[in-house]
Amino acid sequence: MNPFISIITFTTLILSTTIVVISSHWLFAWVGFEMNMMAIIPIMMKNFNPRTTEASTKYFLTQATASALLMMAIMINLSHSGQWTITKLFNPTASMLVTIALAIKLGLSPFHFWVPEVTQGIPLSTGLVLLTWQKIAPLSILYQISPSINMNLMLTMSLLSILIGGWGGLNQTQLRKIMAYSSIAHMGWMTTILPYNTTMTLLNLLIYVTMTFTMFMLFIQNSTTTTLSLSQTWNKTPITTTLTMLTLLSMGGLPPLSGFIPKWMIIQELTKNETLIMPTFMATTALLNLYFYMRLTYSTALTLFPSTNNMKMKWQFYPTKRMTLLPTAIVMSTMLLPLTPMLSTLL
Amino acid sequence: MMMYFVFVLSIMFVVSFVGVSSKPSPIYGGFGLIVGGGVGCGIVLSFGGSFLGLMVFLIYLGGMLVVFGYTTAMATEQYPEVWVSNKVVLGGFLLGLVVEFLMMAYVLEGGEVEVVSGFNGLGDWVVCDVGDSGFSGGEAEGVAALYSYGAWLMVVMGWSLFIGVVVIMEITRGS
Repeated sequence: MNPFISIITFTTLILSTTIVVISSHWLFAWVGFEMNMMAIIPIMMKNFNPRTTEASTKYFLTQATASALLMMAIMINLSHSGQWTITKLFNPTASMLVTIALAIKLGLSPFHFWVPEVTQGIPLSTGLVLLTWQKIAPLSILYQISPSINMNLMLTMSLLSILIGGWGGLNQTQLRKIMAYSSIAHMGWMTTILPYNTTMTLLNLLIYVTMTFTMFMLFIQNSTTTTLSLSQTWNKTPITTTLTMLTLLSMGGLPPLSGFIPKWMIIQELTKNETLIMPTFMATTALLNLYFYMRLTYSTALTLFPSTNNMKMKWQFYPTKRMTLLPTAIVMSTMLLPLTPMLSTLL
Repeated sequence: MMMYFVFVLSIMFVVSFVGVSSKPSPIYGGFGLIVGGGVGCGIVLSFGGSFLGLMVFLIYLGGMLVVFGYTTAMATEQYPEVWVSNKVVLGGFLLGLVVEFLMMAYVLEGGEVEVVSGFNGLGDWVVCDVGDSGFSGGEAEGVAALYSYGAWLMVVMGWSLFIGVVVIMEITRGS
């Protein structure tokens, strides 16, 4: 991409999310969403080919629909209350419409179909931006309107997301699709706890962003997009392969790793609110997620797939990519569990 | 009478967007969009927003036509003439710039322009009177407010329009 265009789009991407996060006026939040959508499209189309065009078109159509829905909800709220404050969303219809619009933007379950499709069609680095940075703006608005969210709607969408996020990733071999489904499931966890305790949402977002960043950095370092090519990294960088396994298990939420923090605290919070069936359902469906992460760890680190002989000679070449942040990211996405009290104090 | 007006305009509005979504060629899609926009302005006009309707018609449609025509022209003429390729044109351009800066300096030195509603600082509430006692109508005062204490809104809107054009140029120019 042209450096000038690159600077303009990345600056706008950062600026738009900042606008959404800091604004207290609905119009500005909406403007931020629109700028965000416009700015990510050239980044998605870094490589010009039909697949990226298709992915960007799908992204544009869903996001534009969500923006229009958001504007309509804002108008309904305005005509009923005469003010534009984000936290004062008192009209139930407007609240439901805003929730649905933001669910489309986040990729929550009945509206999740664009997430795997778009993620599969774009480069890995853009996929990283799409699955981490792009979640901040809708979640910040949901965070602000959390007292007036319709609980039935929100919880239905969240539980469906956890289910679909686990279920859809089951038979996938493409890493970007797996990451997309994992993102859907994590978004489900974040929005489940949103009506009960918004701090847990932020905590989950933080851990999720760290783990997704690590996973995508590992994929970028190995330039892998399929399970098969990830399974042939053992003779290239064996330690990275092991750490990939640990990060995957952390994403699945296994106890001594960072990914367990949000699951633990969310389940605890729900239990404190005397809902027992819901956390049981969530934990059960998260097993589906864990299953496909474990399939990945199996093919990556626990077995040797058959390969041609010259594949086994890869170890003698130095890696061409230096990931400066990767060790820090791996440590953060696997070993944060002892710091849980600090995290819950910070947020 | 007004009901019929809005009714007919609404039908045209929907028909034009049907035309956009079922276009034979992209250029007709743009045409349908412009017709839809114009009819939408007519609807706003019929509901009493005379100033808003006129403004949207002039700026939105004018801007859209300009961008549409500009991009079409860019697509047909790949290497257009620029200012520095002709000395006479460059001289005229620089002269115009000098005249404009002189004018600006004169206006800036010559004293401040009085506005209807004054304010001190961005944090203040601005009360725009919409009543019989005011010197101007509510819509004109809204525009004045947009340019005075809504200055940052204008900056952000301008930037987002700019980024829209940049994105369109970037994704349509190919690799």
